[in-house]
Amino acid sequence: MSVFVSEPLANPGAAGAAEFTRADLIFYGVDHSGPSFEARIFLNTPDAGLSTPRDPEAGYAGSFTIFGHAGCAGDAGHCDVPTEPADPFDSRPPHPLTRQTKTVIITEALRRVTVPEVTITIVPVRPGRLDAELVDSLDFGEFRLLTYR
Amino acid sequence: MSKAQYWARVHIDHTAVPESTRLARYGEERETGAGMSTGAVSPQHPAVPVRHRLDIDKLSGPQLASFRAAMSKAMGISDDRGYGYQAGIHGLPLPMSCDIAHGRPIFLPWHRAYLYSFELRLRDQQPDVTLSWWDWTTDPKIPQAYSEAVVGGQPNPLFSGTVDPLAVQQGAQAGDQRAAVTQRAPGAPGAPPLPTAKEVKDVLALPAFLDFTDQLEQLHNNVHVWVGGHMSDIPFAAFDPIFWAHHTMIDRVWRMWQLQHPSASFPQRLLGQALPPFGLTVRDTLDANTLGYDYAVAGASASGTGPQRATGHP
Repeated sequence: MSVFVSEPLANPGAAGAAEFTRADLIFYGVDHSGPSFEARIFLNTPDAGLSTPRDPEAGYAGSFTIFGHAGCAGDAGHCDVPTEPADPFDSRPPHPLTRQTKTVIITEALRRVTVPEVTITIVPVRPGRLDAELVDSLDFGEFRLLTYR
Repeated sequence: MSKAQYWARVHIDHTAVPESTRLARYGEERETGAGMSTGAVSPQHPAVPVRHRLDIDKLSGPQLASFRAAMSKAMGISDDRGYGYQAGIHGLPLPMSCDIAHGRPIFLPWHRAYLYSFELRLRDQQPDVTLSWWDWTTDPKIPQAYSEAVVGGQPNPLFSGTVDPLAVQQGAQAGDQRAAVTQRAPGAPGAPPLPTAKEVKDVLALPAFLDFTDQLEQLHNNVHVWVGGHMSDIPFAAFDPIFWAHHTMIDRVWRMWQLQHPSASFPQRLLGQALPPFGLTVRDTLDANTLGYDYAVAGASASGTGPQRATGHP
């Protein structure tokens, strides 16, 4: 996918909610098999795009960057990630393209969002020769928004 | 030779360090401290002076010339001692050994072993060299040592590297067509910004190793993409000579974190994990002094009155 916009989530940082000292956005099952890109994250800016500045006023919360595998250089099947070991005694390292977890600390950005709901917008960007480019490489399983006391 | 005479020869001069370049920027008062200038590597070598890696921008003319000479010699070797083979360990040609490291808890140990192995290869060619770091927080551009195509009428080996032809071929098969000589596009439009001193300070303040390495790897990823070109993707990154200066900085930040959090533990279950192809385990990498090196913000040395002993630079 290119730009991802989440459904509205109950905001754990809303006014009147529990105090927190840190807030994390954790992305699970992140694909890194393609080219590198940066995933810019905005809170309550569902129309964020390439030109949206990295400003607190624009809801910018941080980013994670995929240092990519840039495709599969092997023969057929080389980059197929097994869902589980076929052999219970298989203690080899996990497949190189096993999906990753990315944690983005968004404490200050979430403090600025006091409304009851929050949407997460992710803009995947790759540097271009003349201008930034949207990429179609963002692929992840799920994410969590967590706050800690 | 007395002990004092011996140490006069390997003295590390911290007094010459401008305060602005000290670790204080990251909330730490010192780079290295007393007791960290030797590494007890074996009963036969109870107190061997370690070598000190320096800031690439702070190298003296002879130190930089020696480093360039080592890189040039390594680039001229086509077998497994040479630059091309060593760079290919990280990415293409297959197997891509670093695949076990990125996005995983052994990111820092694997790359420390990689730097250690590569540094020894360089020292095989030029015994007085060490790796140097690029501090992107104080020098937010390609360092001058790496940015000049020609130095003294000769090609600058830090400007670009030749990519293993098999890596180019395999990359093309994967749809990633790359030039045979490394290129960069630093700070291209849309590139993530280079890490700031505040960001490094914030990462250094994280008390738990897994949290620390996760966030440091994120800063690391940003630098790869900021440099662009071959550095921006895993398969070709290490062919660019600046890869080593970038990763030496990452390793230095880990070293600084270890000094700031001496009681922090590494996940016990991972200590025995092998770091192929280097013949080391995670446990072997945890003490930089045991690997024979440390970091200093500046260095100077002088001869004493006794017999000379090669201690490495500085």
